[in-house]
Amino acid sequence: MEILEIQNLTKIYKDGTTALRDISFNVKKGEFAIIIGSSGAGKSTILRSINRLVQPTSGSILFQNKEITTSSKGELRKIRREMGMIFQGFHLIKRVSVLKNVLHGRLGYMNSFKGAIGAFSKEDEEAAWSLLERVGLTDQAYKRAGELSGGQQQRVAIARALAQKPALILADEPIASLDPTTSETIMNYLYQICHEDGITCIVNLHQVEVAKRYATRILGVQQGTIIFDGSATELSDSEIQHIYQKKLVV
Amino acid sequence: MKPSINHIQKRKKIQTILIIGLFALFLSWSLIDTGFNVPKLLNGIGETFRFIFIDMFPPNLSSLKGFMGPALDTVYMSFVAMVISAISAFFLSFIAAYNLTPHPTLQYAVRGLASFLQSIPALVWVLVLVAAYGLGLIAGTIALTLSGTGLLTRSFAEILEEIDMGPVEAVQSTGASWIQVIGQAVVPQVLPGMVGWSLYKFDLNIREAAVIGMVGGGGIGFAMQRSLSLFQYKDAFMAILLIFTLIIGIEYLTNKVRMRLL
Amino acid sequence: MKENMPINNNIITSPSKTEPPRKKTKRDRFLTGILIFGGLFFIFSLIQLNLDYSRLISGTSKLFSFVGHMMPPDFSTWEKVIGAGLESLQIAIVGTSIGVVLALFLSFLAAENLSPHRTISWMIKGIAAFVRAIPALIWVLIFIVAVGMGPFPGILALAFNSLGMLVKVFAQSIEEIDDGVLEAMRSTGASWMQVIFQGVIPTVLTAYMSWSIFRLEIDFRYATILGMVGAGGIGWELTSAMRMYRLEEASFIILVIFLMVFTVEVTGNQLKKMIQRI
Repeated sequence: MEILEIQNLTKIYKDGTTALRDISFNVKKGEFAIIIGSSGAGKSTILRSINRLVQPTSGSILFQNKEITTSSKGELRKIRREMGMIFQGFHLIKRVSVLKNVLHGRLGYMNSFKGAIGAFSKEDEEAAWSLLERVGLTDQAYKRAGELSGGQQQRVAIARALAQKPALILADEPIASLDPTTSETIMNYLYQICHEDGITCIVNLHQVEVAKRYATRILGVQQGTIIFDGSATELSDSEIQHIYQKKLVV
Repeated sequence: MKPSINHIQKRKKIQTILIIGLFALFLSWSLIDTGFNVPKLLNGIGETFRFIFIDMFPPNLSSLKGFMGPALDTVYMSFVAMVISAISAFFLSFIAAYNLTPHPTLQYAVRGLASFLQSIPALVWVLVLVAAYGLGLIAGTIALTLSGTGLLTRSFAEILEEIDMGPVEAVQSTGASWIQVIGQAVVPQVLPGMVGWSLYKFDLNIREAAVIGMVGGGGIGFAMQRSLSLFQYKDAFMAILLIFTLIIGIEYLTNKVRMRLL
Repeated sequence: MKENMPINNNIITSPSKTEPPRKKTKRDRFLTGILIFGGLFFIFSLIQLNLDYSRLISGTSKLFSFVGHMMPPDFSTWEKVIGAGLESLQIAIVGTSIGVVLALFLSFLAAENLSPHRTISWMIKGIAAFVRAIPALIWVLIFIVAVGMGPFPGILALAFNSLGMLVKVFAQSIEEIDDGVLEAMRSTGASWMQVIFQGVIPTVLTAYMSWSIFRLEIDFRYATILGMVGAGGIGWELTSAMRMYRLEEASFIILVIFLMVFTVEVTGNQLKKMIQRI
């Protein structure tokens, strides 16, 4: 079953750079898809378009059969809350406790005012605790997010995404600012949780080796177009070279 | 499973609540004592808008010519006061900086004097000085000079305390005298910073000079106050616009120069 | 009075030692130019001011005898003076609080990364810049004509003047927040209000508190002098004491003003340090 259908997606930024050229691909439920490509290839723009943090110039994105690109503000909130997003820079509210940061994942489900004053329900709080247990951070719950190490912060970010009870997780370079060991921990958490809960996941990575280890499917992006789409075993060295080769600007 | 909130966090929470409570208490005390309330606020803002847009608007452009003289006086007054206070502060700051002072007792004395000069608002100085020098620019200039000397001595001393002592010791090691060390190793390091602060003080002086006139210090403030008390509100509005332009203009100018300096 | 200080403090640092020498000489030339121009303009200003130097001399001797008459300070009216001092404090607290509350709301609309629309942001910032550039004492004069004498015009003037400054610095604090952090919250489906209350406010809270305290110090300094033009508080007592030539009382009032300003500065610094720790 297709959870995400992207058709003829194009994004041209205000300064005239074309980030995506006519991209089309589908993602099935339960896939762990990894997008690889050199920086500036358009990986980020793909993920951000799916969450509509970036407004695509043209094309369509269907998420669970709902059109994202033209949805109203209210509809967008409902769509966004079903997509957890994880960032390279963690992007937690540093001055707030770890537990609160996880609870932020519930904001999309609450009425605007209740969420604003932080009146989270008992069930939400219980759920947040069990998520912290899953990422092994219960003993840090009352600490400020800013006091944690990078790897721990990313685990909090994963818990926040999971708090949204998402159908899809979008992870934009989740390990790019972490050391190799921590990176492995994070990828393990991400993979295991998505696998256990049946959450579809799209990850941007630039480490090909890591991608090969976890991906059920790899998409290679170069200069705003998809030039590879297949399994890890199908990704040969020459394909990799092709993806990372810079085209000469004519 | 869930750890309880540890007591450091609890204490922090109590501390925060205490501070907020204390402040709320202060605020309500102030609100009650000054007889302040929201209807009064709204009413007051309404009255003010009526006053500004009906009585003061539009500004009387023909009064501009008469205000130009006092406005220029304000600029001259601010500049002269700034230069005199910068020069006196320059000498005082060497005594007030702990790393260069000839004697700690002198250091404390000069620091105390500077704090005193700075803590008394320039307007209070004017009030006292007017009694001795009469109404006019002399009282205003001296008032700005006094408060400026306080501020600049303190900030110059801070600049001096942050200097790199390496070159100072190097010059000292050649057998140079105190004055020579200051002139050759210290002044070049601190001069841009000091000029920067002086320009900033000039900027502040313009703001203060604009109001000093109101209690008799001469300049544009005096002219504006007179228009108000003669109920020539449209003239007063012109003067306010002129003051506004002056402040913005000088701020822009001094900022530009300081950017290039530092 | 010293509105831009915390920012300006940072700008003023000694020149970095790693810069190439050629640039340094260029800057040195600029500095020399400034000093020469400053000297010339100083002389020009002195001539233009056309001060009466004989009055300067006679005034100075008058000043000494005048200050002599002010001594010793007369403490007998302390109840009235302290009462007026407290009124100044109250004016400052109420005025600053109004300014802080209004600036709090306006800053969300003024910060470019949060504002619903860029035009709204520019408009609010523009008005704030105008309000800020007009000195508090001029606001007082306007408010006195509009609403009459007493503490009320003082409160309004301080509220306005604070508002002008705080909108600017509050909006700056918000604009310094990493875009990604706000984006991450939006990506969970949080609404504008939720992003502000759950994300922005916790992040900028300490900065807001420090700025508010800093502004309270400034407003308190203003509050002591606002009275001189008729807005209540201790300044009014000073003016009337001087007018009636009760010089010993005046010197006592000046002493009280000095102590109050000094205490508030010290307490303010202490509070700011405490907030950094929270």
